[in-house]
Amino acid sequence: MQLQDKYRIAVLSAYALALHGFEALLPSPIPWFRLGLANIITITSLTLFGFRTAMMITLVRVVLGSIFIGTFLGPSFMLSLGGGIAGTCAMGAVHSVSKTLFGPIGLSLIGALFHNTAQLFLAYLLFIRRIEAVLVISPVIMLIGIISGFANGVVADVLIKNILKNDPDSIQNVARA
Amino acid sequence: MKKAIKNTTLADRALFLILLIISAAGFFYSGEALSLGSEVVVEVKGRPVYTLSLDVDMELEVEGSHGHGVVEIKKHKVRMKDAQCDNHICVRQGWISRGAIVCLPNDIVVIVEPGRKTDIDAITG
Repeated sequence: MQLQDKYRIAVLSAYALALHGFEALLPSPIPWFRLGLANIITITSLTLFGFRTAMMITLVRVVLGSIFIGTFLGPSFMLSLGGGIAGTCAMGAVHSVSKTLFGPIGLSLIGALFHNTAQLFLAYLLFIRRIEAVLVISPVIMLIGIISGFANGVVADVLIKNILKNDPDSIQNVARA
Repeated sequence: MKKAIKNTTLADRALFLILLIISAAGFFYSGEALSLGSEVVVEVKGRPVYTLSLDVDMELEVEGSHGHGVVEIKKHKVRMKDAQCDNHICVRQGWISRGAIVCLPNDIVVIVEPGRKTDIDAITG
């Protein structure tokens, strides 16, 4: 890892953390409803800087975010960590197979889907232990994930285009993993 | 925003549609899963007398305070088929799959309750 990678990860993690914290402050109409705004940063860094950077940012964001909000090592931290890792891995896998098949919106949808699936699976394993409850709730969660994933994808797309257009120098010296 | 949507690849759009279809189908399927767990409770004079599954088709004669009533279960729905009372409001209510049928003169109440299996006792996240 180069020094520049470290700077990059630090700055992007700060952005992701800010979004993560901001989102925790928003009142949510449904208890399990979250926008996943921090995923915008994950998608952007995955597309511009590669999988390793994106995964580092996700890990830093989840751990530090839970420390700031006060849920570190609690149940929601487990769900957040599992969902974050699964989502980033899924997006990274798809992105490494083909860079042109899916755009940011498609990546965001995949990330949201895997994030939610992993969370449901973990919630089932750790807390609920009732397959009916999980089955009943999953279409709702999936639909919310599609909507918020789409919105995040649009923002990430605009962000990536703007960075590439206005500041192409910032993505030089990228060690593609 | 418009530009971003225009820039989506074919795979993006296909994925979006497929996910929407799956979740819409999931809504119907989960509705079915919910009703499968339901049960019918027949109360006479405020006391639960019978607890029946909504999945098993059957007819049942219940002795009320004024006469008897006939409860019929068919295709996950329940109705009061016949009752010995004057106004027959309970019979006219017809088939229900949720809620309750009340036969006031006979003091018979038929309640459709979600089965215990589908009660959600914890939501986290």
